[in-house]
Amino acid sequence: MITRRNFVIGSGVSLVLTACGGQGSGSGGGGKTLKIAVVPKGTTHEFWKAVHAGAVKASKELGVEIVWKGPLKEDDLKQQIEVVQSFVAQGVSGIVLAPLNDKGLVPAVNEAKQANIPVVIFDSDLQGDAYTSFVATDNVAAGKLAGERMGKLLGGKGKVMVLRYQEGSASTQLREKGFLEAVKGMSEIQVVSDNQYGGATTESAFAASENLLVSLKAAEGGVNGIFCPNESTTFGMLLALEKSGLAGKVKFVGFDASDKLVDGLNAGKIDGLVLQNPFRMGELAVQTMTKHLKGEKVDKRIDTGARVVDKESMNDPEVKALLKPDLTKWLGQ
Amino acid sequence: MNALRALAKKPWFGPLLALIVVYLLFLMWTPDTFARPITLITMARQTVVVGTAAVGMTLVILLGGIDLSVGSLVALTTVITARLLQNGMSAASAAMVGIFAATAIGAINGGLIVGLRVTPFLITLGTMSILRGAAKGLADEQKIDAPTRGLEMLMTTGPNRSWMIVPPGVWTTLLLAGIFAAVLHFTVFGKHAKAVGSNERTARLAGIQVGRIKVYTYAIAGFLAGIAGIFELSTLTVGDPTDSIGLELSVIASVVIGGGSLAGGQGSIVGALLGALLMTVIRTGSTQVGLPNWVQEILTGAIIIVATGIDSARQRKPA
Repeated sequence: MITRRNFVIGSGVSLVLTACGGQGSGSGGGGKTLKIAVVPKGTTHEFWKAVHAGAVKASKELGVEIVWKGPLKEDDLKQQIEVVQSFVAQGVSGIVLAPLNDKGLVPAVNEAKQANIPVVIFDSDLQGDAYTSFVATDNVAAGKLAGERMGKLLGGKGKVMVLRYQEGSASTQLREKGFLEAVKGMSEIQVVSDNQYGGATTESAFAASENLLVSLKAAEGGVNGIFCPNESTTFGMLLALEKSGLAGKVKFVGFDASDKLVDGLNAGKIDGLVLQNPFRMGELAVQTMTKHLKGEKVDKRIDTGARVVDKESMNDPEVKALLKPDLTKWLGQ
Repeated sequence: MNALRALAKKPWFGPLLALIVVYLLFLMWTPDTFARPITLITMARQTVVVGTAAVGMTLVILLGGIDLSVGSLVALTTVITARLLQNGMSAASAAMVGIFAATAIGAINGGLIVGLRVTPFLITLGTMSILRGAAKGLADEQKIDAPTRGLEMLMTTGPNRSWMIVPPGVWTTLLLAGIFAAVLHFTVFGKHAKAVGSNERTARLAGIQVGRIKVYTYAIAGFLAGIAGIFELSTLTVGDPTDSIGLELSVIASVVIGGGSLAGGQGSIVGALLGALLMTVIRTGSTQVGLPNWVQEILTGAIIIVATGIDSARQRKPA
């Protein structure tokens, strides 16, 4: 037996009905509970758990029902396509989707559109414009944040380098672009290297970092500041700095967080980490879909924000929530 | 009464019953959506890849063999075909080359099993890894974004073709199943394949060219995996070297649910299709009901065991 809660919103009173099935789930508001399918790229990684918690928070506050369903195997494109198709067949009110591939999900999203089921994309972009809104980190702005922090750390003066992530990775390229735009606006900062790639893994990033530190004569002051645009490049660079004894001597701003990177921040080996907000992403995606379903206008592009965290701000409750979101409260685990 | 008893003896009766029971359970759970035509069409469409590969796997299992490389072969076919499309080849030619390559690889599977006298389990365990690696290498370890040139139409009816009821891929699968069921029942090759699966030594003594039958059968399985790969590409719209990891288990499960015996000599193409459909129904039902992934995985495993257990008990009972 399933019991569903049906909240009547708008009057400020929530009327709780229990019913068994038979409630329908057609699109459109009316007196029915909106049923929103939320489809992440996977269900086991920490990032997606934070997104899930945010989505649950929004659903409870807005009185909508969400169904959380990702591919059975993490990152399985075919299964994600099939999950979306099933929700379209079921006729849910709306679908909130983090596409595993910017092209592969286009036909499924088009099918949803044909069936009058709106789709909000989050986390990663999708080709075409069949979707209602795109909710994700503004990566250029996040890169700029890193650049501005770097400028501050160096007192507006010095030699900086970027270790890029990978060719063809849209999100990190935008972060690199934002960083470079910010530092190039500072007259006394010189970019000494911005054409090297760390590659897909921590190992490849470590190797590239070691080579760069040697070739730029980092030990003799050839580099004063370093930016890395994602978790693997940041960690690879951290290892290389530690190995060459430069950790803590060169100003270092990274992107994303992991336990190892937070340790590095704590030990003063990393001067700043740009953090995205997956919890906020899940929350905003569900909020945006609900607004759209209730006939309100929503923006085509919604930024979920990013902030730079350093050793001083690490213990702010807000930052703590970013580093370790309170999943228990929303997911009951 | 006799007619009913005869029906119950059919190898596909068990899976059909399981399918109906599971479908009705989910229908009771979500009465307002599970009977919608679009849900039924979507389930048919999502069964096509496993179903097509299961037709080939039925023949292989009937022969007393197994093919663990089918998932890798499907992925490799999507990669080969996507590469050709990327280089400007037409959809029909690229698909034909992809299917031909898969058929040749199937024949090589069979050739290695016969030539090296190693069990099919080990040979195809090896080719599973080799083909996966080849797919990744050919794709430069990323998804291939190629123009699909109409290939995507295989898996959709679109607004103008609703007279088709289900997408062309579903009809193709049914047609292929019909053809190979006929081959199995009415040709010398089919009889020989069954004989080899029932007792290889007797078949050899009876003068059947066992080696040749095996190579042909694995080539057919490769051919069908190739077609499944084209259907997969049609759904994905990108060539994906990491696609279909673990597909072989769904395909083998379909065949076994459908009355196939891993000891060889038994297997039903109709049963295998019903088995594949059963797994799609569980998957779609779990999604529409909103079951968490871990519950869905446990449920799928449990239904495989119950379905094959009932079938085994039914066969032991004297009719």
